[in-house]
Amino acid sequence: MITEQGVKDFLRSGGYIADDAIATAVFLALQMEKPILIEGPPGVGKTGLAKALSSALDFPLVRLQCYEGIDEGKALYDWEYGKQLLYTQLLRTQLDNYLSVSADLKEAVERLSAEESLFFSKNFLVQRPILRSFLSEKRSLLLIDEIDRSDDEFEALLLECLSDFQVSIPELGVIEAKRKPLTILTSNGTRMISDALRRRCLYLYIGYPELEREVAIVRIKFPDLCETLAHRMVEFLRKVRDLNLRKPPSVSETLDWAQVLSILKTTQLTPEVVANTVGVIAKHQTDLQKVTELAVQELS
Amino acid sequence: MERIIARFVAALRESGIRVSPGESLDAVQALALCGMEGRRSSRQLLRLTLVKNANDFPVFNEVFNHFFNRFQFVDPEIDMSGLMDAAVINMEGEFNYLNQQQGDDHDEPGPLLKLDSDINPEDLQELKSLTEIDPDDSDGNEIVVQMKGYRGKAKKAPRPTRRYTQNPLTIELNKGNSTERGITFSPEEQAAMQDVVSRMMLRLRKDMRRMKNNQNRGKLHVIKTIQKNYRNDMVPFQVALRRKRREKPRLVVLCDVSFSVSHASRFMLLLLHTLHNQLLDVRSFIFNRDVAEITEMLANMPVNDLMETIDKGDIIDLDENSSFGQVFLKFKKNYLENLRGRPAFIILGDARNNYDEANDWVLDEIREKARYMLWLTPEERDTWSRGDCLMDTYGSYCDKVEVVKTVDDLSLVVEDLLRDIYADQAHPLDKKRLREAKAAETYDSKDYYTRGKSGGGEPVFDSAGRSHW
Repeated sequence: MITEQGVKDFLRSGGYIADDAIATAVFLALQMEKPILIEGPPGVGKTGLAKALSSALDFPLVRLQCYEGIDEGKALYDWEYGKQLLYTQLLRTQLDNYLSVSADLKEAVERLSAEESLFFSKNFLVQRPILRSFLSEKRSLLLIDEIDRSDDEFEALLLECLSDFQVSIPELGVIEAKRKPLTILTSNGTRMISDALRRRCLYLYIGYPELEREVAIVRIKFPDLCETLAHRMVEFLRKVRDLNLRKPPSVSETLDWAQVLSILKTTQLTPEVVANTVGVIAKHQTDLQKVTELAVQELS
Repeated sequence: MERIIARFVAALRESGIRVSPGESLDAVQALALCGMEGRRSSRQLLRLTLVKNANDFPVFNEVFNHFFNRFQFVDPEIDMSGLMDAAVINMEGEFNYLNQQQGDDHDEPGPLLKLDSDINPEDLQELKSLTEIDPDDSDGNEIVVQMKGYRGKAKKAPRPTRRYTQNPLTIELNKGNSTERGITFSPEEQAAMQDVVSRMMLRLRKDMRRMKNNQNRGKLHVIKTIQKNYRNDMVPFQVALRRKRREKPRLVVLCDVSFSVSHASRFMLLLLHTLHNQLLDVRSFIFNRDVAEITEMLANMPVNDLMETIDKGDIIDLDENSSFGQVFLKFKKNYLENLRGRPAFIILGDARNNYDEANDWVLDEIREKARYMLWLTPEERDTWSRGDCLMDTYGSYCDKVEVVKTVDDLSLVVEDLLRDIYADQAHPLDKKRLREAKAAETYDSKDYYTRGKSGGGEPVFDSAGRSHW
């Protein structure tokens, strides 16, 4: 029996520092077999959570990146037309023999349609990510990334999959999941996700982490960075976030910066260091200036 | 436990968070799985399962604190259900106590309600309206015009009353908001606007998609067709066509922020703010006597900060009297030259020029640059020629002048405009279909959503308010 603390521990082993809310959500998702919808600003580790989970739990990761215009042919399943054509070509002689017995055209058509299901069988089915994760022998982790980029139609298509873990294929009937995958949906909130989809999920909002957690994240990724520097760095970044920038630095920027500082073998955070590496934190011209100004104020 | 959760869910619904029965079942299941270990973890569990929108978190927290502040979390050995039942009974007592206080708190006709509580507020309102002179009947002498101004106010049913009787919890939750009406927006207002805009976008998008197929029709795209039919043995079952570039509709909005129209402009700014990242290329200006562009600020600042900045007079001096003539001149001088494309113009203002020079010839120049010109005024048509109002002069340059008084009006007008712009670029076939749809829609379906929501009563947005030149 897994507990919430257990979830935290194995996530830590996967290189992810979770807070209580995240651990509870993961724990519940595992127990209740419900998808989690994660929202939050970009770069706070939404996709990272899924990756860490998959490596920690040893669930194979099946990833579906959403984009505008994604449809069932790309997400659920597709028929392999080429293979179907190839088979009909190769089997032509057999088909001729098989059909030559029939007296007239009508009977031939009847005979052929009796065998129709051959060509719409699992043999010719291409499994796309969702179906693949449903049919995997081992329990898998299905990551539906950036769902807000897809269209409304696609969202509606997901409803059946997410609530019942099944896929309806007109030619084959309903295919149910062998093992219900642990499902994680992420969204950056560029578009409102419909209530119908929200209702089927647990909802987790990941914001910017607290000071200690962020330091711990930096420490776990870059153990050779000295602790006081990590602490000062994160403190500084938290002040930068309050600056009302166009693109406030998030955890991924923190990690990038930590990497840069450890490559440069920095030991002290000074305005010069910030000025030299500011491109890692701020991604707009106006932001650059604000950050360097703040560095002069705070660090000198 | 189920009873507590059911009650808590009811409380959430009262505060406007939508919770489905399935979600409350989830909550019960989750609590059973994790156990009620402490306030913090229970709050997290409930939040995970019941609230599906980050904007609702503050409301949830408030309700949670209210609801559970007399629960003690105890260790599991003690008989939980007995304790809970006791707590529920206790709470019911509390509810009753609160119920008796009903009527003390709200501002609508209190004394009458107390005399006879059977009269419900809407009936009362109807009775009241009997005593009013119907302004449509007369030609509009001054008194009637004045009454007309107040009519909208009186027509509003005192909605909160009904909610108070349903659940006393909301009384205190709403108290803070109802009393002060500052320049900034409450989260509820922002959420409502979000709601209006997203519904509007949904309707628009639906229409646009129907149109898209035809609109993008172009020549055959040979390479794409071959690529697409590779798997079909090169038999071109599916044809790929070249797409035409679709033009983004451009909008230029001039918004009067002087005191006389502050109510309307306040919502216009909020609408713009919400619209800004949705679909459009909008350039927004505010004016009083001076004119300033606020496009950047709208995109980057939280709306309340922006409102405060404007209110403090940091952008333009609010103490000046508004002068439309001056503003048009300045606009022409500073901005008109570098407007891209053929944008649609929206001007929001009462056209009260404070007896300054009209400079209406500038509008003629703007008109040449604009695809479409729309003037929104919060004043009724009867008053357009009164005093220093130049509505009739300015109006003759515009494609359309509309009277807007509520958020719903505003969004309807803007939606209509967007629809027109899109339709402008549409394929001829679609144009025809849109026209037909519009003709059919004028009766019912168009404002199906918005009307239903504004609480019945007669539409504020009557045909007399519209005019065409």
